[in-house]
Amino acid sequence: MIDTQLSRRAFLRSASGAAKTSIIVLGLPAILVSCERSKQAMLNNEEFSVLTEEEAQEFHAIAARIIPTDETPGATEAGVIYFIDNVLNDDRESEHETLRLGLRELQIAAALGFNASYFHELEPEQQDQLLTEAQDTAFFGTIRFLTIAGMFSLPEYGGNRDNVGYQLIGFEDRHAWQPPFGSYDADYIQRGE
Amino acid sequence: MAEANTQPSYPTREEVDFVIVGSGAAGGVMAKELSVAGFSVVVLEQGPHLKAADFKHDEWGYDVNKELTWGARQGYPQTFRKSVDHDTQTRESVLDYAHNVGGSSVHFSGNFWRFRPIDFMEASVRGPISGTNFADWPISYDELEPYYTKVDWEVGVSGLAGPWDPPRSREYPCPPMPVKSSDVLLERAAKQMGLTPYPAPVAILSQPHNGRPGCIHCGFCNGYGCEVNAKSSSMVSMIPLALDSGNCELRTGCTVSRVNTDENGRANEVVYWEEDGTEQAQLAKAVVLCANGAETPRLLLASESEQHPNGLANSSGVVGKNLMFNGYSTAVGLFDEPVNAYKSVPATRVLHDFYELDPSLGYYGGGGIDARHFSAGRPMNMALAGGLFEGDATWGSEYKKNLQKEFTHTAAFDGHTTSLPLATNTVTLDPNVRDKWGRAAMRTTYSDHPDDISTMKFFYDKTMELLDVAGATKSVGFYAEEGQEGNVHLLGTCRMGNDPSNSVVDKFHRSHDVENLFMVDGSSLVTSGRGQPTMTIMALAFRAADNIIQFARRGEI
Repeated sequence: MIDTQLSRRAFLRSASGAAKTSIIVLGLPAILVSCERSKQAMLNNEEFSVLTEEEAQEFHAIAARIIPTDETPGATEAGVIYFIDNVLNDDRESEHETLRLGLRELQIAAALGFNASYFHELEPEQQDQLLTEAQDTAFFGTIRFLTIAGMFSLPEYGGNRDNVGYQLIGFEDRHAWQPPFGSYDADYIQRGE
Repeated sequence: MAEANTQPSYPTREEVDFVIVGSGAAGGVMAKELSVAGFSVVVLEQGPHLKAADFKHDEWGYDVNKELTWGARQGYPQTFRKSVDHDTQTRESVLDYAHNVGGSSVHFSGNFWRFRPIDFMEASVRGPISGTNFADWPISYDELEPYYTKVDWEVGVSGLAGPWDPPRSREYPCPPMPVKSSDVLLERAAKQMGLTPYPAPVAILSQPHNGRPGCIHCGFCNGYGCEVNAKSSSMVSMIPLALDSGNCELRTGCTVSRVNTDENGRANEVVYWEEDGTEQAQLAKAVVLCANGAETPRLLLASESEQHPNGLANSSGVVGKNLMFNGYSTAVGLFDEPVNAYKSVPATRVLHDFYELDPSLGYYGGGGIDARHFSAGRPMNMALAGGLFEGDATWGSEYKKNLQKEFTHTAAFDGHTTSLPLATNTVTLDPNVRDKWGRAAMRTTYSDHPDDISTMKFFYDKTMELLDVAGATKSVGFYAEEGQEGNVHLLGTCRMGNDPSNSVVDKFHRSHDVENLFMVDGSSLVTSGRGQPTMTIMALAFRAADNIIQFARRGEI
């Protein structure tokens, strides 16, 4: 199960160096199975492992609102949808089901609110409105988790293409660094503290 | 390091001198000491023997898939309840530890504080604390000091000796790691407040030592295996020497189910499954359990028999009790200039001015403070927590903009604190949930003592103040105000003591009940220390091995 109801505090707890016990509890073996193929897949002639074409289009649109493309690349350029397809394909039927059910509700909201059949057909402002309304659901928690994971995990898993996620936050995945590491230690060395 | 292929292959139906269960911080030391001393040793390790080349900067694999620590997905669910009056919940994981040769010494942070003299005699100095099992250790700091020094030199520690440090008989073998920006911020703020920060001792080499290279500052220490063997795990510092001795057989993928005893009540056989499910049983003259503070009591409880109805070595009823974690707090601050705390080792400065809190506060406690990256330098964890500061968005364009500063421009000041030993905090066998082998799942029952939570609050307040003095433009903090529900420090569950009625092992780690059975790992600790137990676990293992060797040579096992 993905623990999707992660408050800021819970995140902090899981993220803090002191806590070390992650409460993000997915877990699956043999994840890399279909990654090689997905690396080469393109948005328009894709072949998905478990997502239907409709699901792929819709989740892709949602991911693009969670990490939008603006002056910097977003979930679209990172290929997050391929990451999502990959990880759902590895013994994650219950998470996929959460997404399926949530998508249906989102589409009903799109129909009732904007007379549209599909989420991806809505204007960005309309999409944001529906996602804001869904913010506290397991569905949103799951798709947010997977979008962010797809943006910032190793490219081998299908997302974070060309390291666009890493570039966004200023992380360089290098195997060696030398001091100074940041501004304050550079200054410290210079002053001979 | 070269590993000569000199491993013996001992028949299971012939007695070896020692079977060691577990190859982690303690098991690795024990294997090396006993085998180099000439004894025949079989080490049973449930995980694989990974090497530096196997490790990657793979956050999804390690943090989410738990490829090193294992959980329900791998067939090892655990259960948790706050107390016997609470419902029990099945979880992916509660007590986290790595399943591989070297155990959690492979993927731990490398923070390597010695305990201080006060840790061993605090109950006498501070007085008893009602409702707890707070007690003195049966050994003193002075008795353990030579073994701390052995760890420094044989395992490999970097640091700087000084008046701030506990007394030591020899310098550190390696100088301290170069200071990071996060620690410059901590050090400057602490000095402004009249405090005494000093270079953090770490089990990571700052320069080549014992044939291993110095750290290249890649930043993936905490939660990851070192890709250049600079982190001083038992996997790289001890196991190769054990295997080179020609007396040690390391059997990986072996899950121990029970320890059997003969008609005289002596441990004589260790039963385990090989990876394919084949059951084996190794005969032994003596057994040393180094399986960690969760697995060791679980194994003893699962080894119940007519002779040992409460579990093996458990006439006291104390096996599995007094589970301690260490508390923590974290305070994250945003700074104007790049901090880049994701580079290099987790922490390079430590503050021990609050090692013992003033008793006039009205509660017991103490701890240390260091500076780190708030998500241990992990991009995905950072982004999941993104929208860190009050009122920040957690998705969308604004969220995305904030991420661009949160990863590189923050420092986390963390508190690492005491846990009191309580009879009600336990590792037991779950009556309902089973693991992939059909064994009872590990059940944790745990609630922090109110003093532990007050101590975390003290450190939370202090680190928030430090952030303020350091010039953070925004800050946010956290401590486990409702108590912890899991941890990676697994301490106290087979505590050491002179009195067989309230302890499990004696001061030499020998079971009070079974004379050829020893428990040597985090379970032996009487008190929790201030948050970095691995150095002490390794020192205890060197000391235990020294004594076990003498006992064996004198025919006293």
